[in-house]
Amino acid sequence: MNPTEDQIYVIIFSTLFLGGLMSTFVIAMVFIHRQRQAQNKQKLEQIKSEHEKTLLNIENEIQQETLTYVGRELHDNIGQLLSLAKLYLGSAKPEKQTEGKETINQVISEVRALSKNLNLDWVESISIEEFISQQLKKIESTGYCNTTLESEFELGELPKDQKLVLIRVIQEILNNAIKHASPDMISVRIWKDENLKKIELKDNGKGFDPSLESSGSGMFNLKKRMETIGGDISITSSPGNGTLIHLLLPN
Amino acid sequence: MDSRFFQAFVDWYLISIDILLVLGVIYYLKLPKEKRSISFYWLPFLILSFTVFYENLGAYTNYNFDFKKAANAFFGNTENPRFNIWVFNIFNKHISTILYLFLIKSWLVPSKKKYINWMIITFFIAIQVLQFSGIEPIYLNQPLIFTFGANLILLGSGFYFIGLMTNEQYLATNPLRLLSFWQMTFILFTYSLTYISSVSLMYLYNNYPQLLTSLLKIDWVMGVINLGILVLTIASPKFPHFFEREPFFEFEKKLNLRNRISS
Repeated sequence: MNPTEDQIYVIIFSTLFLGGLMSTFVIAMVFIHRQRQAQNKQKLEQIKSEHEKTLLNIENEIQQETLTYVGRELHDNIGQLLSLAKLYLGSAKPEKQTEGKETINQVISEVRALSKNLNLDWVESISIEEFISQQLKKIESTGYCNTTLESEFELGELPKDQKLVLIRVIQEILNNAIKHASPDMISVRIWKDENLKKIELKDNGKGFDPSLESSGSGMFNLKKRMETIGGDISITSSPGNGTLIHLLLPN
Repeated sequence: MDSRFFQAFVDWYLISIDILLVLGVIYYLKLPKEKRSISFYWLPFLILSFTVFYENLGAYTNYNFDFKKAANAFFGNTENPRFNIWVFNIFNKHISTILYLFLIKSWLVPSKKKYINWMIITFFIAIQVLQFSGIEPIYLNQPLIFTFGANLILLGSGFYFIGLMTNEQYLATNPLRLLSFWQMTFILFTYSLTYISSVSLMYLYNNYPQLLTSLLKIDWVMGVINLGILVLTIASPKFPHFFEREPFFEFEKKLNLRNRISS
């Protein structure tokens, strides 16, 4: 076998070997890539379905609360007004009749206001700042707790699903504060830094131990909800020292 | 032109890469101005031009012995004035490796880019230390420097393939239609092959010269394919149906920013 012939065989063998190795590599890479692609797709679908599920839960919770509120209003407010109107209209005195008509007008406007709460369209028309302000006013109207709202910048228009989750989380935090912490003061501050928009909710109530299992599930729920809108939550509390909560949203 | 010129320059390898350079220049000049200034296009063009330049310089040193002798003397090699390995050392083992590292960096996910920066700095320092300490003179074979450079390239390729398997933007693509995938595959195999042949150069030369010659020939073919993919990268805007958009990261950001400024 002369050297040239040798060389040809070596070239053929090396080329085949290298070609085989490269083909195997490319096929393996594409195979792994496809597998990872499928896994990633599955993961994304799971996240999407969880997100939709969370949103649905939140919508249900808000609707449930709205129905309770509407029921209470119908019984305590509109029912009372209608009874009063019935009394006035049953009277023979013309001034009572007029008062009866005015009461009916009041009932009409109350019913109109209530009907607005029955669907979730109000979520679109209200800003987060306005919602917080309304909630704080409600709390203050009880006379047991003072509130402050400090907004250093406008949160801006958020998508409806994000707003819905955020509204629900804020509502839950404020409800928890009133129900369990009995604070004298609740303050809310909205500001942003380079990367995040922040909503700080602070109360001077009883506080709690976040490491306890009983408080853990509630916190986990809030955290999960914030994560579905790409945000996060940080809770700082200890018994007797109030609670400080930061809701973090990406810019 | 004498026969020595033909002997030095008329060779399938040199002619192939010269043709690729001409194609590269044509496609690069056809690119819109804003694309020409983006590293995704100018870096492959730079590597292509640079490679063709030093391969022709290598051929020229074989044609012009006086120039080669003077250059060898300049580097301190008066014993073997016929050597022109310094061309390969400086341009291929050192500068090309750094340029390829930059190219790999442009395709990596942002979190991995900093590793390439450190690799380039470390490689540059290692070259200087090994050369100026006299461990690996510039006019002799430099297996240590090449081993180090090739390993960095292999490591960079590893980062790329990890990104390809884990990054969401890469997972949304078809790798067979990604130029970066083919480029990285060929870079990986070319460097592996060159690495093997370079490290075992003396052993193969003494014991299996046929194998060495064959390996070098395959290496040249791989080099031509590599340059061909660089030309395809430059020409890719002309063939939008063949290639998928790369998850360019910085490239897209820059282009968007420029478009916004210009609009």
